[in-house]
Amino acid sequence: MDATRNGHDAREYKSDLKPIWCPGCGDFGVLTALTRALANVGRPPHEIALVSGIGCSSRIPGYTTAYGFNSVHGRALPIAQGIKLANPDLLVIAAGGDGDGFSIGGGHLPHVVRRNVDLTYIVMDNQVYGLTKGQLSPTAALGTHTVTSPEGSLEAPVNPLLYVLAYGARFVAQGTPADMAGLSAILEEAIRFPGFAFVNVQSPCVTFGAPEQQLKAHKEGLKQLAKIDYDPTHRMKAMALAQTYGRELWTGVFYRDPSPPPTYDALVRERQRALAADALPRERILELFAQHDGEPGRAEA
Amino acid sequence: MSGQDDRTRLAATPGIDFAHLTLRDALDLAVLIEAEAQERYEELAQQMATHDSPAPAAFFRAMAVNEAKHGAQLAERRRALFADAPRTVTRAMLWDVEAPDYDEARAFMSAHEAMRVALRAEKKAHVFFSTALPEIGDPGVEHLFTELCAEEVVHQDLVKAELAKLPPEREAGDDDFADEPNAQ
Repeated sequence: MDATRNGHDAREYKSDLKPIWCPGCGDFGVLTALTRALANVGRPPHEIALVSGIGCSSRIPGYTTAYGFNSVHGRALPIAQGIKLANPDLLVIAAGGDGDGFSIGGGHLPHVVRRNVDLTYIVMDNQVYGLTKGQLSPTAALGTHTVTSPEGSLEAPVNPLLYVLAYGARFVAQGTPADMAGLSAILEEAIRFPGFAFVNVQSPCVTFGAPEQQLKAHKEGLKQLAKIDYDPTHRMKAMALAQTYGRELWTGVFYRDPSPPPTYDALVRERQRALAADALPRERILELFAQHDGEPGRAEA
Repeated sequence: MSGQDDRTRLAATPGIDFAHLTLRDALDLAVLIEAEAQERYEELAQQMATHDSPAPAAFFRAMAVNEAKHGAQLAERRRALFADAPRTVTRAMLWDVEAPDYDEARAFMSAHEAMRVALRAEKKAHVFFSTALPEIGDPGVEHLFTELCAEEVVHQDLVKAELAKLPPEREAGDDDFADEPNAQ
């Protein structure tokens, strides 16, 4: 048995479906790091829901044995929130690419952050739309040459780390599959965090990404926060560090709220309990439905 | 790879204290290293098969079989010496010691390239064991690691021999770029 410290084996979390990502894709390392993190966390696959949008990286739920939902482009977060609220006992993870998260689904991000639903959001950021063969994505650097920007991009990129920190996220981290041990530790910490946790994973596109974005470059250039005297409990310091996005590759936990407040799902449960005393019993509600003949206001409580 | 780079190879086994590593733990570690490499080669073989590259797929599959064989030999040795004594070393304590890195693989890679991937992985493992050697306190573990170091050199020679059997590598022609991806 090749179990981790709590008796779970990372292979329990990998499905029999084999990834069709391009060989060399960063997402292979993300999948391995995630399954190791899940094994360390120790929740069995049937207690985990992995939700994604559309894109290469959004194929990830199918490659795990957790409950999976490969949903609609940009809609991983609303669905993940719904799952968590409907079944708060599930460990919920949303995953997808930078286009899915910051462009098509960008409008959902501030709201999941401000609600602070207890879920982990993993973005596999490769600065390109790989599945549709190499168009500019929201995190592509200014001047990036792609099939849709042959003369170089004129658009400034989104800074995912700064984005979510500004929205008020209470756990913000960055990793790369160039350091799978580090990435796995970050993902484990994010999953264990009580509240919305965001992990930006620099996961290069081997087919359409630039050479300087590949894992080889990451291995040479990455800087680990764990190796310096960095205190992740200061939001403003984290925001200052996040400004390096696109220029330097810092990995580790940028910000972790030292006193996380109750999560949205916990508050909802509390509200439900508080209102339960005054709630009509199920049978009475069914009676009211039966009495109601379709005209508004006819049924009486 | 040398000096500072060699030392970083030990980061592949976070949580392993080589100074206090027992022979039982060292054998367990060696078995797990082989198992990790076996799994990675199986993954790479699958990737190659998915991308219509039968030659590298067959080579990676053969490497997976070899790693499994070495793992079984080490596991047998562990059983003979320590029977069913509990294991304290886990897979969570090692990362890519002998397993090729994921980014070594490429779609439509040649058999030559696949063999060079394996060669680099064997060299990586050799550097790991040789760098760990001076840290080791237990003479039995030192003996085992010296042996594993030597084996990695033998494995490198075997891969080099296989590489030498291949016909000369063909240079890419225009047809190789005919299907360059384009925007839809």
